[in-house]
Amino acid sequence: MRRLHYFMGALVALCCIAPHPLHAQQPTSTIRGRVTDNTTQQPISGATVTVGGRGVVTQADGRYTILGVPAGSDLLRARMIGYTLVSQPIMVAGGDTLVVDIALTGNAVTLSEVVVTGYGEERAGNITGAVTQVSAEEFNPGRVISAEQLIQSKIPGVHIVDNNEPGGGIAIRTRGAATVGAGNDPLYVIDGIPVGIARGAGGGLSAGRNPLNFLNPNDIETITVLRDGSSAAIYGANAASGVVIIQTKSGRNRPQFEYSGTSSASTVTRLPDMLDANQYRAAVMAYGDTTQQNQLLNANTNWFDLVNQTGFGQEHNFSVAGSGDRTTWRLSTGYLDQAGILRSTELQRLSLGLNLQHRMFDDRLLVRTSLRGSRVFDRFTPGGVLSNAAQMGPTQPAFDSTAPTGFYDWPGNRLTSADNPLAILALAKDRGTTYRSVGNLQAAYDLPFARGLQANINLAYDVTRMDRVTFTPSVLHSQTKTGNGGSDYRANQSEVNSTLETYLKYAVPFDVGPGRLDLTGGYSFSQSAGDYPWYLASGLTTDVLGGDGVAAATTVQNFRDIQESRLVSFFGRANYNVNDRYLASLSFRRDGSSRFGPTNQWGTFPALSLGWRLSEESFMDNVASLSDLKLRFGWGRTGNQAIPNYQQFAAYLLGDAQSQAQFGSEFVPTMRPSSYNPTIKWESTESVNLGVDFGFMNQRVSGSLDWYTKKTSDLIFRAPVPAGYTIGNYVWRNIGTMRNRGVELALSAQALSPSEGGLRWTADFTAARNSNEMLSIYPSAGTTTVLTGLVAGGVGTFIQVLQPGQPINSFYVYQHIRGSDGRPIYEDRTGLTNGQFNGTPDGTINEQDLYVDINGDNVINQDDRRPFHDPAPKWILGHSSYFTYGGLELNFTLRAYLGNYVYNNVASNLGTYAEVTRGSPYNLHASVLETDFTTPQYLSDYYVEEASFLRMDNITAAYSFDYRGQPVRAFATVQSAFTLTGYNGVDPTAGVNGLDNNIYPRSRTFTAGLGVRF
Amino acid sequence: MNRILSKALTGALLMVVAAACTDLGVEPRSTVTDVNVFRDQASYRAFIAKIYAGLAVSGQQGPHGQPDIEGIDEGFSQYLRLYWELQELPADAAVIAWGDVGLPEMNTQLWAVNNNFVGGMYYRVFYQVVLANEFLRQTTEAKLTERGHTSSALRAEITQYRAEARFLRALSYWHGLDFFGRIPLLTEADILGTLPPQRTPTEVYDFVVSELNAILADLPAAGPATYGRATAGAAQMLLAKLYLNAEVYTGTPNYTGALTAASAVIAGPYSLTPVYVNNFLADNHTSPEIIFPVTQDGLRTRTWGAMTFLIHASIGYNDGMSPGSYGVDGGWGGIRLKPEAYQLFGAGDTRSSYFYTPNHTVGVAALGEFRNGIAAPKFSNVTSTAAPGSHSQHVDTDFPMFRLADAYLMYAEAHLRGGGGNATTALDYVNALRVRAYGDSTGVIIAPQLTLDFILDERGRELLWEAHRRNDLIRYGRFTGSAYTWSWKGGTEAGGSTPDHLKLYPIPANELIGNPNLTQNQGY
Repeated sequence: MRRLHYFMGALVALCCIAPHPLHAQQPTSTIRGRVTDNTTQQPISGATVTVGGRGVVTQADGRYTILGVPAGSDLLRARMIGYTLVSQPIMVAGGDTLVVDIALTGNAVTLSEVVVTGYGEERAGNITGAVTQVSAEEFNPGRVISAEQLIQSKIPGVHIVDNNEPGGGIAIRTRGAATVGAGNDPLYVIDGIPVGIARGAGGGLSAGRNPLNFLNPNDIETITVLRDGSSAAIYGANAASGVVIIQTKSGRNRPQFEYSGTSSASTVTRLPDMLDANQYRAAVMAYGDTTQQNQLLNANTNWFDLVNQTGFGQEHNFSVAGSGDRTTWRLSTGYLDQAGILRSTELQRLSLGLNLQHRMFDDRLLVRTSLRGSRVFDRFTPGGVLSNAAQMGPTQPAFDSTAPTGFYDWPGNRLTSADNPLAILALAKDRGTTYRSVGNLQAAYDLPFARGLQANINLAYDVTRMDRVTFTPSVLHSQTKTGNGGSDYRANQSEVNSTLETYLKYAVPFDVGPGRLDLTGGYSFSQSAGDYPWYLASGLTTDVLGGDGVAAATTVQNFRDIQESRLVSFFGRANYNVNDRYLASLSFRRDGSSRFGPTNQWGTFPALSLGWRLSEESFMDNVASLSDLKLRFGWGRTGNQAIPNYQQFAAYLLGDAQSQAQFGSEFVPTMRPSSYNPTIKWESTESVNLGVDFGFMNQRVSGSLDWYTKKTSDLIFRAPVPAGYTIGNYVWRNIGTMRNRGVELALSAQALSPSEGGLRWTADFTAARNSNEMLSIYPSAGTTTVLTGLVAGGVGTFIQVLQPGQPINSFYVYQHIRGSDGRPIYEDRTGLTNGQFNGTPDGTINEQDLYVDINGDNVINQDDRRPFHDPAPKWILGHSSYFTYGGLELNFTLRAYLGNYVYNNVASNLGTYAEVTRGSPYNLHASVLETDFTTPQYLSDYYVEEASFLRMDNITAAYSFDYRGQPVRAFATVQSAFTLTGYNGVDPTAGVNGLDNNIYPRSRTFTAGLGVRF
Repeated sequence: MNRILSKALTGALLMVVAAACTDLGVEPRSTVTDVNVFRDQASYRAFIAKIYAGLAVSGQQGPHGQPDIEGIDEGFSQYLRLYWELQELPADAAVIAWGDVGLPEMNTQLWAVNNNFVGGMYYRVFYQVVLANEFLRQTTEAKLTERGHTSSALRAEITQYRAEARFLRALSYWHGLDFFGRIPLLTEADILGTLPPQRTPTEVYDFVVSELNAILADLPAAGPATYGRATAGAAQMLLAKLYLNAEVYTGTPNYTGALTAASAVIAGPYSLTPVYVNNFLADNHTSPEIIFPVTQDGLRTRTWGAMTFLIHASIGYNDGMSPGSYGVDGGWGGIRLKPEAYQLFGAGDTRSSYFYTPNHTVGVAALGEFRNGIAAPKFSNVTSTAAPGSHSQHVDTDFPMFRLADAYLMYAEAHLRGGGGNATTALDYVNALRVRAYGDSTGVIIAPQLTLDFILDERGRELLWEAHRRNDLIRYGRFTGSAYTWSWKGGTEAGGSTPDHLKLYPIPANELIGNPNLTQNQGY
């Protein structure tokens, strides 16, 4: 509390020392007028108009008023970035009012665009951090379910990885991974509302898919990404992975109705390469024995063909929006229904949004509200469909009229035999419903007693309720073979997040030294309360209720988890601008988080950035074609608190009814103390950014080049501890440091200029290189390597590693010896004597025959694994082209990754003849035809494949025309049109961690749509 | 009007800011903390139950979920499963088929310093130790008085619990001593957050022995009401184990102690169950022979380790074995006999009656092939009346960690090694087992046949797959070296000599990094 008082005191003092308008000794005059764009006649807001030492900034309508101008002749200057400076001599007599309207001529007007930043906005040309804003006309077209997909390939250094499922989870990595164990999502700020803070930076609660699905992408006006530490640091504790600021659309001009609708069809692009019926039969005949061979039937079933489908979708968006003198408003509703390319996958969204702005009290008070609500209904393809489609024998039929379910199952009810995926699709259910509403009320009030001082308040809420039901009937093979009976799982969870922010902004109404000073300072309080109960009943007495009712069950497990967290912050920023030429920004944030122990709750996150617009210097005047050249430097520290709550408390965890201890004839439920760490502290990321922005020919060609390095210290990770040091062998602790370094290039060119009605071509390029390295793991952490990347095959098989000197999640595998034909060898080469190679074949093929003895100890064991490539792309390249000719448009976006690697887990798990010796033989991955493995080799580097690719992300053709005076736009889009890659698995973008294990296949989507306004 | 409003607005704004606070106090609500947990006197019971459950399950949710230790698959991490694998796989008793990282090397004594199963066992040992220490810290006189827990009934109960916690700690220290030799020794006096120093095996041995002797009087009495808990018999049994192996641990033998402790066990309320295999069935809690079990229950004590593992992994899925006849839903096709273990059994010995030979070879040509090696489903989830257990995945069968037959054999061995006692008694004890095994006197031996070698073989028969074999072979000097080789010892099917340092497992490499007080065992 005391801290707060000091802070508020400082703010008030700041207001008080602000001098009031100069009191003239003699009668003075007033100059007023309006600043407009010479070409468009539109008012220009934010232009600086000065006379002598007095300066003001124009309002939204372009108007300005300068008071207290002493009599005499002087020079009136109007300046706006992206426009040519206007100087006009004036002569004022005492006591009168002079009206001077000024028209500015644009030379690089894109520089004057307003870009939203943390707690404010800035002209594009004056930005000193690495900030990129993408607006609606540049968004990716087609069937887009979640906001992140709109900007894929549009911003260098922003790596967006979807999981292919419609509405499925999306990971964003800004300039590589910022952490290894805490959350890696950026902070999302929607209309000023930081969402999902309960889980760290981004996201929120959902019934299973992307939490941001609540937001209708059609409502979004701009998405801005704060990539570097200096621009993001004002969000302190949540900003280590960057900040994504989403602004929704509001009304313009006269009231207008708008409708857009699309229909789409998606088809599968690639599936795992399994053996066909003949190859499978041959494999079983060669490697199985009579038990397996006798089970083979004569069908020819392609199981993947039976579980995938053409996914149809439709979307309808309707909005009505307008603006008047004082009020701007937009009301929108949307409906989306999208089926997946696997049967039983579906997403339905019904959304509603309202934006309302009203100015009152002589425009001193601006009240804004943004309200969004949605219901998302998800149907999931039940678990096991993909893996069983891979494993099920192609010689077996899909249906069996004699079976109780009507579906064929392997005989003998063996634990290891695959289940019929069609039976799972038909009988099991997995669905969820999420209701989420996010809204806020904001007020900005220009205080009457101090010109330039504005008080802001932002009250925001984020309420989610989700229900998920998974029902597995007892008749399914997966249940009969284990004897578990039917099961019914339900989770009914809710989360309420609320945020209060108050801040003062002070645009100092006079020059401070040679430049203008803007100050922002404030306070933020966020809290989150979640209630996460679940219930699991297994051994249901009846399947009749189908997951909709509660049937008696053999085993019932109940769990309830209440989670609360708070984040309290103070923040401030000073921007200093000398004639748009020398720019400086200084910010700080102090955050207190309930997730850390009392001694480490508070963290400080300062930032500094500087800009020098060389193009404003007189010595650059002779470079006529140069319209912008700016050097930028930024340094900032950001934090990460995306770890579970309560790690600092010595908590006791109750055991459930299935983990009791027997005392005599009694069973006693248990209770254990949990590991905890009262000293856990902030993870902090320090970053340096050096950038240059450039533009030529009035910004016809423009771009930016950035170099950055960012180092994360005190990485929070659930990591091992020496025995006896605490309870348990793992605890959340600060264990190491990591670095990301890279360069980013963005280039935009109007390759063909917009001559009247002619062909116009705008081309954008992005290129980003990032290299990641785990620098150290603290010696006291009790480990030098941490295994990650659990894969299918065996039990507890980890395929990746965190190891100092290597990129995080490097694959950690044996080096497979290759034969002269390049294939991994599979032959008996040596036996062992006293545990050492003896060079004499011993009749069996073991690890010692196949792998390189990395540590040279003459035996092959787990110590011979070594880090080998990693999943992160080294280069990400993007290209978008926009062609227009009259009413015709053609756009496309290309994307390429270079140097990313994927572990093909379908191949490693099913690419061995051992799998046909199961009780009922599994189908095999076609790689077995090359490798001839008869035992699984999960840790062979053979399965780590380079997955560089070039993909046509989307192509759109559109035609705009007038129908009865109303504009109509018809368009068609193909998404994922083609992918060129040497990777053999399902998708070279197989998740952030590069593990391809029966992942949801990628779809190619054809969309046609129509938009009208009236 | 505007002026008033604007002032009101400004005032309201400032008030909102002032009302906001910097209080970050958020406490767990759906879990209990050390602040409130012992307000409920039942917590003491739940806590001691957890230390027992630490041997039986893998975490706070059965069969998996909220694991006790991490960094290893939860099913793999289960105490008894690891303990069994470390005692049986590197010896002449069992091979496991699976290729999981680190597991094949356990069959052959070729483990890496970083072996995750070895590491898992190390952390399991210390997990039990730390839990027991915490229990002892939370149940001191001072703490109980401070909480007002002064009822004499509760005090008496807690006195027993404290003795049991010390027994469980001693048991795990014995495992740690046996596997790793020089380990840190932490007691309730050592607060958390310090890096413990390493102790010599003798220091660990002395501590465990003194602890066991100190708690004998406080442990609960044996009987059905205390089944599953540590009794004085269990403590005597553990003492006998320590004394019998004292020469291995400390260099100084104590066979007299072993004989005395074994005699104390035999004098207790235990008796041989008439049918050998009834010790290993779903209703084995009724066996009068079991001194200290790790209890399992298909409905209430579930895990993917322990007996779920031992029973499923002993059954094949491709060799004609019928899982249903063992009361389970399927076989995992994992463990079977090494040929030397199979060959210990003579005709007529009913202790091999459960072996499954069709489709199996005696020799183990390929470790990964379940049908190489005879299947030995000794443990089974059916009762002595052939009824299936309460659940087909999770079993009711308890693991007999200590049973009377072992005490008989220890008595005989201690006697032969000069620990005193009576030769006739020793012979009688061994013959009691032989008569039960053969169902008549055909298996009875005479005094000259009772040799140390005979005892080792008899232990191999009577206690097969009960997690004694590595310990026995080390005591007999045959686990490493060339005195006795068996199939896959050292990595070849023929078997070969292995270096002596393998008698101890390596201290996990991570421990050496994180705790500078530690040095690695010799030879690694």
